[in-house]
Amino acid sequence: VSEPLGTVNEPASRAVVVGGSLAGVTAVDALRCRGFDGHITLIGDEPYGAYSRPPLSKGVLAGLEPADSVMLPPPPAGVDVRVRTRAAGLDLQRRVVRLADGEEVPYDRLVIATGARARTLGGPAPATVLRDLDDALALRDRLRDATDVLILGGGFLGMEIASTAVRLGLSVTVVDLRLPLVGVLGPWLAGIFTHAARRAGVRIVVSPGGARPLEAGTVELRDGTRLSADVVVTAVGDRPNVEWLAGSGLALRGGVVVDARCRVSPEIVAAGDVAAFPDGGRLRRMPHWDAAMAQAKAAADALLLGEAAAAYRPEPYYWTDAFGLAVKIAGPLPVEGPPTSVEGSLEQGSALLRWDRDPQATAVAVNYHLSVAKLRRLTARAATA
Amino acid sequence: MRVAVDAGRCDGFGYCEQQAPEVFRLDDDGVVVVLLADVPAEFADRAEAATRACPVAALKVDP
Repeated sequence: VSEPLGTVNEPASRAVVVGGSLAGVTAVDALRCRGFDGHITLIGDEPYGAYSRPPLSKGVLAGLEPADSVMLPPPPAGVDVRVRTRAAGLDLQRRVVRLADGEEVPYDRLVIATGARARTLGGPAPATVLRDLDDALALRDRLRDATDVLILGGGFLGMEIASTAVRLGLSVTVVDLRLPLVGVLGPWLAGIFTHAARRAGVRIVVSPGGARPLEAGTVELRDGTRLSADVVVTAVGDRPNVEWLAGSGLALRGGVVVDARCRVSPEIVAAGDVAAFPDGGRLRRMPHWDAAMAQAKAAADALLLGEAAAAYRPEPYYWTDAFGLAVKIAGPLPVEGPPTSVEGSLEQGSALLRWDRDPQATAVAVNYHLSVAKLRRLTARAATA
Repeated sequence: MRVAVDAGRCDGFGYCEQQAPEVFRLDDDGVVVVLLADVPAEFADRAEAATRACPVAALKVDP
């Protein structure tokens, strides 16, 4: 993976981007902004063009924002956008993407941005998940007629769904292996969410042995306890969409394996939830909004510049909005112990907090308007309050 | 090309400002302001890209 891949020599005239969501659309924009003037085809399997996913678990799920409010402006003029189109295979020798209907789309440069889908826990009934717009609209309609909801998974998504359901007046239970968010955020920061959730009436059930979905509406915890609700939502992470690449010869180990420049080969890159990066001897996906955007830009650079492109440097940035806590986070997670306050306080309802550590601090804005760039600046080692 | 903003949706991330600083800026309250609603051709690609880089779809484009 550390071997330089070199640069393709012949001029590129046809770029194909597989995956029509954030990473795919960003890659298209980045190719155009960096001067690529060849033909671009953007292939996505959803019935819609690109849309913004963060509101799906919030305003859209609550019924406050209509579906069309999340649609993003269509890609630049001249880009051939294919919706409802599923890629089914890749032929590296002939340089074609094979579509589900058998059509072949030739490429000189290929961006793999097929994202991920919701992970589920099995069981006899199909799981209810929230991943795409249709999921959100279907769950919105079901919550409208429900009195209680059980959410499996207390991560960002699970807690956002819980928060929305509470606002809709439902009785809400969240089940996880540990206290919600504690693994990703650390105990102090996770604690402000669990505190707010409980205050809002959410029942939090910690089941270290996990939970097993039974018939629709019922789950069984490891200790035999059974929980039931009108709706059971599974929010236990994601799995990369790599099946269409099976047999292609690409390295698929927990995602499409790329190098530090998002490259699979000189003419193929991957970005977003599907891409697995080398990280200290392991491979790591970074299925988050900001990472998808940054990777797509780095990937486009690498396609056009080869070795001369800058390597992708992860700059962790996350946000969530649940139980009245709009939280933006820059810097490494999880954080340990209490933060120092840069400004405000949680008691006052708005705070800018920092955990100082080497080589990079973690800065967190709670109900505090601060741009991504400014929050990141607070994570510099020398930053002072 | 013209760009427009739904300030009520803006959540102050500032990705648009990073993408096209000539066209978008966050004000002192962290809410986006459009500096050039009529986007000159030289900034058009990046301004358009900025509208698709909004996590809350607060920006719109009129060709």
